Amino acid sequence: MNAPSTSFHTPSARAIYGSRARTDKIVRVLCVLAAAFGLLWLSLILFTLFWNGLAGLHFSVFTEMTPPPGSTTGGLANAIFGSILMTIIGVGIGAPLGLFAGTYLAEYGRHEKLSFYVRFINDILLSAPSIVIGLFIYGAVVVPMGGFSALAGSLALAVIVVPVVVRTTEDMLLLVPNQLREAASALGLPRSYVIRSIAYKAARTGLITGILLATARVAGETAPLLFTALSNQFWNANLLTTMANLPVTINNFVQSPYEYWRQLAWTGALLITLAVLALNIFARLLAAERKKS
Amino acid sequence: MSDVQVMPQTSGHAPAAGRAAPVKLEVRNLDFFYGANKALKNINLRLETNSVTAFIGPSGCGKSTLLRVLNRMYDLYPGQKAEGEVLLDGENILNPGVDLNLLRARVGMVFQKPTPFPMTIYDNIAFGIKLYENLSKSELDGRVEHALRGSALWNEVKDKLNASGLSLSGGQQQRLCIARTVAIQPEVILFDEPCSALDPISTAKVEELIDELKAKYTIAIVTHNMQQAARVSEHTAFMYLGELVEFDETQRIFTAPSMRQTQDYITGRFG
Amino acid sequence: MAAQASLQEVKPYDRARALSAFKIGDVTFYWVTRLSAIAVLLILGGIILSLVVGAWPAIKAFGLEFLVTRRWAPNLEPTPVLGALGPIYGTLVTSFLAMLIAVPVGLGIAVFLTEFCPPVLRRPVGIAIELLAGIPSIIYGMWGFFVLAPFMTDHFQPFFINLFEGVPVLGTIFAGPPSYLSLFNASVVLAIMILPFITAISRDVFSTVPPMLKESAYGLGCTTWEVVRNVVVPFTRAGVLGGVMLALGRALGETMAVTFIIGNSFQINGSIFSPGTTISAAIASEFGEASGLHMSALILLGLLLFVLTFIVLACARLMLARLDAAAGK
Repeated sequence: MNAPSTSFHTPSARAIYGSRARTDKIVRVLCVLAAAFGLLWLSLILFTLFWNGLAGLHFSVFTEMTPPPGSTTGGLANAIFGSILMTIIGVGIGAPLGLFAGTYLAEYGRHEKLSFYVRFINDILLSAPSIVIGLFIYGAVVVPMGGFSALAGSLALAVIVVPVVVRTTEDMLLLVPNQLREAASALGLPRSYVIRSIAYKAARTGLITGILLATARVAGETAPLLFTALSNQFWNANLLTTMANLPVTINNFVQSPYEYWRQLAWTGALLITLAVLALNIFARLLAAERKKS
Repeated sequence: MSDVQVMPQTSGHAPAAGRAAPVKLEVRNLDFFYGANKALKNINLRLETNSVTAFIGPSGCGKSTLLRVLNRMYDLYPGQKAEGEVLLDGENILNPGVDLNLLRARVGMVFQKPTPFPMTIYDNIAFGIKLYENLSKSELDGRVEHALRGSALWNEVKDKLNASGLSLSGGQQQRLCIARTVAIQPEVILFDEPCSALDPISTAKVEELIDELKAKYTIAIVTHNMQQAARVSEHTAFMYLGELVEFDETQRIFTAPSMRQTQDYITGRFG
Repeated sequence: MAAQASLQEVKPYDRARALSAFKIGDVTFYWVTRLSAIAVLLILGGIILSLVVGAWPAIKAFGLEFLVTRRWAPNLEPTPVLGALGPIYGTLVTSFLAMLIAVPVGLGIAVFLTEFCPPVLRRPVGIAIELLAGIPSIIYGMWGFFVLAPFMTDHFQPFFINLFEGVPVLGTIFAGPPSYLSLFNASVVLAIMILPFITAISRDVFSTVPPMLKESAYGLGCTTWEVVRNVVVPFTRAGVLGGVMLALGRALGETMAVTFIIGNSFQINGSIFSPGTTISAAIASEFGEASGLHMSALILLGLLLFVLTFIVLACARLMLARLDAAAGK
């Protein structure tokens, strides 16, 4: 400390510090540019989506069926209905399965070999290409049943829901303090009652958040529906035949030469995005609520 | 820490070593393992009915571990095992055939940190009762009130029974947990450092409560606080490095311990 | 207080009987959860089995040749010739280009968010990024088709074609003519789609660095960049790499973001401005009209894709697990 050459007042020390500060500044600028660049594209996407989508957003979109080629009237009523129905059934099948499997990982089998494999495989399924899941359901459901059906589409969505819910359920249950489980066990509660009446209750908002996120994830899935539910030009509530749905309808309309179809595709895309954003925001609010308490 | 005052209430029991009091819980040749790590070595002691036994000793000496053997709480975790015998009214609770839920209903436990369940104050109590009994609403109300009165909490919460158990203060939460334990009518209550997260006033209330509870229950309490052990217990066990160094009447432990290690610990020379 | 605490006797009851009623529920619940966990494994087994069964005719007909054959002629008489080289090439090229763009930008945004960003902006920008990561990929694909592709084709591509004309190698990679449907346009859409994903993951990973560690570096007089380079990045290397691999897995398997603008051409010519196809785009565009050996070959493509992503994702998970272990989780 006593040697003056180590002080920051010597020219060489100042030069070194100057170059370090310069590097820091350059990186800072690059990072800001990256952020600006990324946000520019992403806001551009949202802007065009809203601009084009809102242009076609009329009441008739919700009341009229998807139009035949060349028509200049028509809506998306059957596709909206189909999407909602298949999403509900998919989540209805996938969420309980995921919830139970996640419960096993967090509560019963925390340290077991089986859990290790399930966790690993589940993480892979979590990001498996959705088109492969479509192929799986095509081979496992569509072919044996002899045709495309809304049920097959729902099952494909369920397969996507499961890993998401497994993951969040396990994570959320692991956040429940062990003391709470011990306290419940100390009252003489059987294990399953500890889980259902204490752990689930303590983790409730987290579990709901997970299911909401899974719902958001499948609400816009297209690829697995392409060769399971297919699409349908008409109103249909029969699960055993093809059913219209927003993503596949958009897929079909985007590449068409008909102006009105393209317009409907934009509007449908806007509806999906709004639904997905709403689910995400709602899940987020719930999670924030949980953190507060 | 050097001059520990012994409260007069401990003198209620006759100090005569030869007289046999009724034994509620007896530990015989108990060894305990965390995996390969031996945490308790050949523990032998008896808990007398309707008395308070305190476990003291430095951190990691095994006193909490011993407590968790008494209701087999350790069974929740793989890799932990106990060898030897723990007799509750003469029945070995370490036997594999023992029904753990029933055991834990008989041997209740209150934890270091208050652990109210994420439900209303009322439900926190009613929940445990409803597990074992089919009661009408009014009977249940009576039992909840009874339990809350028993833990000296009734006057503070009677107007907000539907508030969340988490809305109470730390001391109130702990008394709620005691009420919850008492509500299912156990025979033994284990307290694992019940006051370590509480302020002095709440601590005094909990200690007062323990003193009242011993009229009906057999109580074991682990504590870091030697004055507390002296205040609430009839018997005290001093543990060190997984061994039971000394087990005697509280008064004797704090005034004339027979072991050098006990002497050092209670006079604050280590620990 | 002692007065009312004297506990009145309550009527005795049969605890054991009450408990035995729970037993069946207890065992049932255990098995329901355990079987559900096993069901997760069965889903994977089902995927593999169903793909192998579906792909079997193609495996028998083409064998390993499938991987190196460039020709894709499903309607050839008497037997179609089908090879996966085109889609494999397209998948690798688009994923590589997308990662080339998205990784530096995504990491840059993550560093910006965790280190440089004014605190007021941190939360809103972070949330916006996460919300964007949740938007369905068909939206990105559609936007690419209607907005990005025309823009790139009219303005961006001609510039590079002119710039590198006549230069060896680069001249081939950036060879004209500009094309609406091209590997390059698909890559850009893919990059924009995985951008929020990379940012969200690396931001999470960066936030695992203990504040004390960073503060001690700052305490030595380090600049923010020096802290990032010498503390944050080394500490989180495995996690960042894992996150990047996850993004790669996503890019490899993505369907809807690329299908509209890749052109579905099985040709391979070195230029990134020429049309091509990816495995998933090929399946999505042809599966509807396919039958027989053609369909089987598409399922075989799906199997290849699954194996490819499985390997990438498995590596990613192992790396992320290593980070967790290092963080003592």
